[in-house]
Amino acid sequence: MAVQYLTEHYDDKDFVSLKGYKAKGGYKDLEKAFKLKPKEIIEMVKASGLRGRGGAGFPTGVKWSFLPDNGEERFLLCNADEGEPGTFKDRLMMEKAPHQLIEGMLISAFAINSKKSYIYIRGEYEYVAVILEKALKEAYDAGLLGKNILGSGFDHDMDVYRGAGAYICGEETGMISSLEGLKGQPKLKPPFPAIKGYLGKPTIVNNVETLAAVKYVIRDGVDAFRKYGTEKSAGTKLFSVSGDVQKPGNYEVPLGYPLKDLIEKECGGLLPGRKLKAVIPGGSSAPVLNAEEAYRATMDYECLAEMGSMLGSGAVIIIDDSNCMVDLLHVILHFYHHESCGQCTPCREGTGWIEKLSRKIVSGSGRLQDIDLLDKVAQNMKGRTICALSDAAALPTISFVAKFRDEFEFFVREGRSKVKGNIYAQSAH
Amino acid sequence: MPKVHINGKEIEVAEGTRLIDAFLQNQEEIAHYCYHPGLSVAGVCRLCMVEIEGNPRPQIACNTIVQDGMKVTNKSESIKESVKWVLDFHLINHPLDCPICDQAGECELQEQYMKFGQYDPEMGERKVKKRKVVDLGSKIVLDTERCILCSRCVRFTDEVTKTKELGIFNRGDHAEIGTFEDKPLNNNYAVNTVDICPVGALTSKDFRFKQRVWYLQDKETICPGCSTGCSVKAYYNEKGYFRLKPAFNEDNNGYWMCDEGRALYRHANKEERLLQAQVKADDGSSHMAPGAATKKLAAEIQGLDKQKVAVVVTGQYTNEEYDQLISEWLKPAAIQQVYHWKNKEDEWGDFDGLLLRRDRNPNSKGLQDRLQKASLVNDWSQLEKNLEAGQVDCLVVIGPEIQAYYDDMQDKLKLFQKAKKVIWLSSNPVENLVADYHIPMKTYLEKDGTFVNYSGKEQKIQKMQNIVSQALSLSDFAYLIAGKEIPLTGAAS
Repeated sequence: MAVQYLTEHYDDKDFVSLKGYKAKGGYKDLEKAFKLKPKEIIEMVKASGLRGRGGAGFPTGVKWSFLPDNGEERFLLCNADEGEPGTFKDRLMMEKAPHQLIEGMLISAFAINSKKSYIYIRGEYEYVAVILEKALKEAYDAGLLGKNILGSGFDHDMDVYRGAGAYICGEETGMISSLEGLKGQPKLKPPFPAIKGYLGKPTIVNNVETLAAVKYVIRDGVDAFRKYGTEKSAGTKLFSVSGDVQKPGNYEVPLGYPLKDLIEKECGGLLPGRKLKAVIPGGSSAPVLNAEEAYRATMDYECLAEMGSMLGSGAVIIIDDSNCMVDLLHVILHFYHHESCGQCTPCREGTGWIEKLSRKIVSGSGRLQDIDLLDKVAQNMKGRTICALSDAAALPTISFVAKFRDEFEFFVREGRSKVKGNIYAQSAH
Repeated sequence: MPKVHINGKEIEVAEGTRLIDAFLQNQEEIAHYCYHPGLSVAGVCRLCMVEIEGNPRPQIACNTIVQDGMKVTNKSESIKESVKWVLDFHLINHPLDCPICDQAGECELQEQYMKFGQYDPEMGERKVKKRKVVDLGSKIVLDTERCILCSRCVRFTDEVTKTKELGIFNRGDHAEIGTFEDKPLNNNYAVNTVDICPVGALTSKDFRFKQRVWYLQDKETICPGCSTGCSVKAYYNEKGYFRLKPAFNEDNNGYWMCDEGRALYRHANKEERLLQAQVKADDGSSHMAPGAATKKLAAEIQGLDKQKVAVVVTGQYTNEEYDQLISEWLKPAAIQQVYHWKNKEDEWGDFDGLLLRRDRNPNSKGLQDRLQKASLVNDWSQLEKNLEAGQVDCLVVIGPEIQAYYDDMQDKLKLFQKAKKVIWLSSNPVENLVADYHIPMKTYLEKDGTFVNYSGKEQKIQKMQNIVSQALSLSDFAYLIAGKEIPLTGAAS
């Protein structure tokens, strides 16, 4: 069953304003947090099992505890770049409940003793940025930001920073570079941002949904937060379901929720007469599941990892039998080729190479050995670069070729799509 | 000090050593392009992959600091396979135009392919087209198709010169090195980017297409361009000298040299040289062999009053030559009128912050020390006074080898003209010079010896090949002018 935990008041049109938000108990949890010691909050977040909702799924409290205790200024960055194709949950959260995010960020900033935070929002979300900026102003006017917040003695400033639309700026160190005014390119690790991040200072980067969820750990306590989800995947999660379902959209469900139910119960099932072919469960960089796997999968970090895929950002792309997998892979590879920052050689050159190979197959002039080559090149792009963009192109390639090889071979042999026929010869991207 | 096992060998390295340096210092082969010890770590070429025991993922050696007890290998099959693939990634869009590329023969792509690659390429798609023959300024040409985007040149202009002319524009496989609008790469250290470019992307306008590098040999020497005394390598063959490049010298110039210094091979080549001694005769001037001319001169000045013979010396000769000059001629002949010609001495302390010093002589210090020891230090104004008073019958000017740096040359020529007889020693013709004798000298590339740099460090120069075989060293001149024969072996170089 879908739940309304983080999204409880999203139907309330006033929830977007400070007044409406406060009417539902808003900022009460910040007051509560101020009565705790920062260390206690970090321990609570650790105990809650909250994991990063942006893609990597790293335990949030553990990430916070990496900050060095050296008295240096610390920064909190909210990753609202939401660039992973298929993902649109952060947009909803910021659009409907900007104060929920601000409150979550303030609690987090208090926990890690940060006096300055930025919300890095993708440039395409212009109207969302306006909503956030308005909310920040309300918060400043109400003494919820700035000096001595709610008489706690805690000072904090928050700003919205608009990106320019590069996928790579959603990678945490790429985002830091961009925020520093540099070209948005990931930084070499180590050192990790918790040690040396924004402007060389200790920095924590968390996703919108993660930061909002922190509020609920404080509000309800560890046990209540853990009421939802599984042992290793605690809490609820927003899934952005897109593709061939009756009702695509954002759905909040407890982690561990069966994918089959998500498709059939929440999203109203497939379109009439169609059969499920595949699901990309965690954004376009996640390895694809075939229908059989998809119907067995539960939406949590461990089950999807076991199936060789990942929960990622929670972007669930439903693919029915009217789609050509060869064409889909080509679209994905076109994206990653376009978005590669070009620093690391395997990614810079590899993303271009596999896109060309897929284009060749899609345009009907591929050779059988090109299918193997696609796989071989992708295998050698994997795990060799500074950030995960190379893997993001490699993993779908490897899984598409492994699981839908028959469609690739058909395309090569016949020069046309097994599903869609000869419509690609001219229209290849 | 931490110990590390590299491919089974136990090696001790200094605290904080980068793993890649531990490999290189111990002659363990490791593929790499972007790493350069004189620059920050970029970690982008992804070639220096190693396996570290206990770490499931391969790591890059350039961004790993050695820790005690680390066990590292780059000889496993999986690492070798990785390196092959990463090399292949470097080459798939490279034009492979080695036959017309100036870097061929000293290209890291060629060398590392032979060492670590040797795979059968499978890339059959169209290569990415980029700009070729891009003019980056007065000294450097860029071919962006050959570029492997290692970013060494960008880091050099960011970190060493801090002039920031270069950047990487665009992204992905369309990324290109380039300069910003109206900001050409013309700084005085720009050509270092050509040296550190591992491929033929950046080439020097001065050197490109002059010689294939495999027809050149090289030897290390000291740049004569200023008192810093950078270690350099000169490249040459039977046709002459073709270029200078910096040689690594930890205590002095590090990995770099300035572009002005790079030009200091041209004056050594035949077309620029004074080939024969010029001797003034009643009917104009005549050419003589340098040795014979000096002998003739020796006979002429023998009878002169030694009080009226003056010698002007510049700091562009070797210690050994000054020693011979003093011990073989000045002392025995009791010549006291010795003057050190210092161009713009009041500015000698000036320094550009990197390498170049305003004292444009490689051996001012060596000369000063020797004149002092021999009690031959005289005030320049004394020479001017004597010249004005017509007290100088014969003036021997041991002139600068690199004349361009003496911007008071023309003024001095006029001053020196007041001597009854002017003898000029230099390797190259001198504009507007009217001398009774002009004796051709060897350049720094044609002799052995030592220079003392600004900090008092004595450094060796070495002979490569003679361009003007009859030209004299200052030692040769000292023997001949003193009426002696040049010893066949020994100090005279």
